[in-house]
Amino acid sequence: MATESSSPPNPPAAGGTPQNSATETVQPANEVKQDAAPQNPKSVFVNSEPIREDQVQNAVKFLSHPKVRDSPVFHRRNFLEKKGLTKEEIDEAFRRVPDPSPSAQPTVTNQVGQGVTTSTIQPTSVSQTPVPIITVPSSASPSMFALARSRFHWYHAVFAVGLLAASGAGTAIWVKKSMIPRLKSWIRWVVMEEKNGDGGITNIKPTLAEEAAAAAKAAAAAASDVAKASQEMMISRYEEKVNMEKFMDLMQMQVKEIRSMGSAIKHLEGRSDKIERTHLVEHGGHSGSITKLKPTYPNGNKPEIDSHSARSSLPPTSADKSAPPHPNSYMDDINDQPPNPNQQISNPRLAPRSKPWEGAYQAKTSSRGGFGSALNGEGGSDFGAQNNEASNQVDAQSTVPWWQKKNSRITETDYVEAKPGSTTVVQTNEQPPIQRTWVPPQPPPVAMPEAAEAIRRPKSKKEAEPVSQETSGEGFSAAEVTDELQRITKISESGGEVEEMHSGGQGTNGALGGLKLSEIEEEPVQSY
Amino acid sequence: MNVSKTPFNGYSVKFSPFYEDRLAVATAQNFGIIGNGRVHVFSLPPTPTGALTEIISFDTADGVYDLAWSESHDSLLIAAVADGSVKLFDTNLPPPQNPLRSFQEHTREVHGVDYNPTRRDSFVTASWDDTVKLWSLDRPASIRTFKEHAYCVYSVAWNPRHADVFASASGDCTVRVWDVREPGSTMIIPGHEAEILYCDWNKYDECLIATSSVDKSIRVWDVRNYRVPIASLNGHGFAVRKVKFSPHHRNLMMSCSYDMTVCMWDFMVEDSLVGRYDHHSEFAIGVDFNVLVEGLVASTGWDQMVFVWQHGTEPRGP
Repeated sequence: MATESSSPPNPPAAGGTPQNSATETVQPANEVKQDAAPQNPKSVFVNSEPIREDQVQNAVKFLSHPKVRDSPVFHRRNFLEKKGLTKEEIDEAFRRVPDPSPSAQPTVTNQVGQGVTTSTIQPTSVSQTPVPIITVPSSASPSMFALARSRFHWYHAVFAVGLLAASGAGTAIWVKKSMIPRLKSWIRWVVMEEKNGDGGITNIKPTLAEEAAAAAKAAAAAASDVAKASQEMMISRYEEKVNMEKFMDLMQMQVKEIRSMGSAIKHLEGRSDKIERTHLVEHGGHSGSITKLKPTYPNGNKPEIDSHSARSSLPPTSADKSAPPHPNSYMDDINDQPPNPNQQISNPRLAPRSKPWEGAYQAKTSSRGGFGSALNGEGGSDFGAQNNEASNQVDAQSTVPWWQKKNSRITETDYVEAKPGSTTVVQTNEQPPIQRTWVPPQPPPVAMPEAAEAIRRPKSKKEAEPVSQETSGEGFSAAEVTDELQRITKISESGGEVEEMHSGGQGTNGALGGLKLSEIEEEPVQSY
Repeated sequence: MNVSKTPFNGYSVKFSPFYEDRLAVATAQNFGIIGNGRVHVFSLPPTPTGALTEIISFDTADGVYDLAWSESHDSLLIAAVADGSVKLFDTNLPPPQNPLRSFQEHTREVHGVDYNPTRRDSFVTASWDDTVKLWSLDRPASIRTFKEHAYCVYSVAWNPRHADVFASASGDCTVRVWDVREPGSTMIIPGHEAEILYCDWNKYDECLIATSSVDKSIRVWDVRNYRVPIASLNGHGFAVRKVKFSPHHRNLMMSCSYDMTVCMWDFMVEDSLVGRYDHHSEFAIGVDFNVLVEGLVASTGWDQMVFVWQHGTEPRGP
């Protein structure tokens, strides 16, 4: 990233050393920590603790354990991270334990092929390069092993099939040889018993047969009953259907009569919309008429009527996009690919609004570099007109929106007075009350004295920086730079000149902001 | 006090940073397990009660897990979709002309997306493929991929004051703080003993970060001393799905949980719970503060409801 060279008060050496060169001993890290903390506001997000030797010792013991050796390196690293070791400590532990397994370092992938980040990972790349090399042979070996295993599998499969066949054949032979004679002898024994035990067994057997026959008969009877019943049902259904149709025909005739009577009445009354009415009735009239009659129909015929009404009512409802036909079913025919992948992203209509925390803190680092350059590229003259449009739309609301009313911060009178203004006026009304009642907390004592100093520097200096970078000064007052209202009115006054956006408004950028603006400008300027 | 019912189960709700009365809701069919998704854009009606008016809605082939409004363009929405794509919608264009872009790079579900509020030109996405990706609206591919987490990354959040710093919360029980100018993470906070579902920065103190976890607690950390949390907020009965800091008060936070409640907290006070709303009848999955209107909050959940109300009043109306 090209931004790194121009990044503001972040001396990458100071802020980065604790994490990058883990080979350093504890002492340099201590010094760096003391230096880095006051100077570099960014360093709060970096581990500035020295490497804890006891933790590193624990980690080394953990990593030397044979069971741990077998587990994937990624898991080992994650375990140590969960235990609360910092990156440097983990790296140090890995360094101390001879570790021939694949990559333990986090992989850094850059999508667009930016090699610039490699400049910052020089110290870690030393440890990384031997590891990727090891990765290659080790990745090759698992694949070979997998291949061998697969071959082994194939032979294994053949062997298994053969074994199954053999066992099947053996079972068949065994059954033939031993089971069948046994079965025969058992049958002979039964027959003998039958001959001997005349009374009992002969009684049992016929009863068995009789019972079976009786059961079969009963089953047959039941089946025939069922068949009869179903046939009857079908006949009755058919009859009902016929009756239904007759009924419907009669009703339709009646409806027609009523319709004609109605039209006659309307004719008499001399209404002109009757023509449209009859049209509607003809097209969607089936649905209308049938739905009216729904409650009077017996239950069994409801489905048919519903289907009628559904079919005929489909044309009117298909025009209504918002109601999905099957809200709960799984629709898988949605094409959510962009219809025009090269479609230009349209200009924003509104300026980005400042956040409540930004206004209060006065150390705004926001840069509308991306946004501003968009306007630059596409032409800022649209902006003024569109802003007026937006404000006009809001003015259409005559009542005070309820969510504004309940807001205890905004007094009713203030809001109502300002109502004729635009949305931005509303916003400014919100801003002062919030600032009045909210007491900014004490700035952190150590964190960014440089930034605080920059903030307290005279405003002209801050103004000058961004202005000089963007455009020539428009001569607007530097007095109320944090006043949203002034900024927006200037924009509308000057007809939407874009330059206002950059250097106006929250010009309380410190050195941070000024430099940041530049770094942002470099990046996306070509894109818009 | 405004309620609306969405056809699908709600996953995320976000107020627009440009319009006080506009919000977007990300929904997914069948609780997001399978099926389609839809992004709704609602407008608040002028009356205190009544349904939200839907301005426009966009269908997607898979559930939408999260969305973010662009901070640079008032009509653009980024949607994180369960099929791994990141979609850009323009609410000024009709649905047939949408989405404007569909970035398909993540190999698994995209679960979180956040737009840079200070630089306003980039956004990050968090995915279940263990990576976080940095994007810009004008580029067809991601700018960077951050791959360090050992498990699904559930959420990302930009620091409101430092344009290059963001944090990611992951199922590997850690929160990582990243700087886009550095190759790897700059800080690893082993915040909980269970998966961390969400992280959010304090808007008034750039060093405070809150995390919500499956262990039912919310912890507030100071990155300058991250071994011990500043506060540990207990009170939810089940996993806490989201936690948000208020854009108007330094100490106020809001959270939603699988115990179907939305809770308000003040982490500097001994008994931190300052409010509890029990209006959902299913998992409460999404909450948001309105940046432009103080006290206005919204929540959504798997009961397909979207509520918008003033903190301190009854969400379901009088």
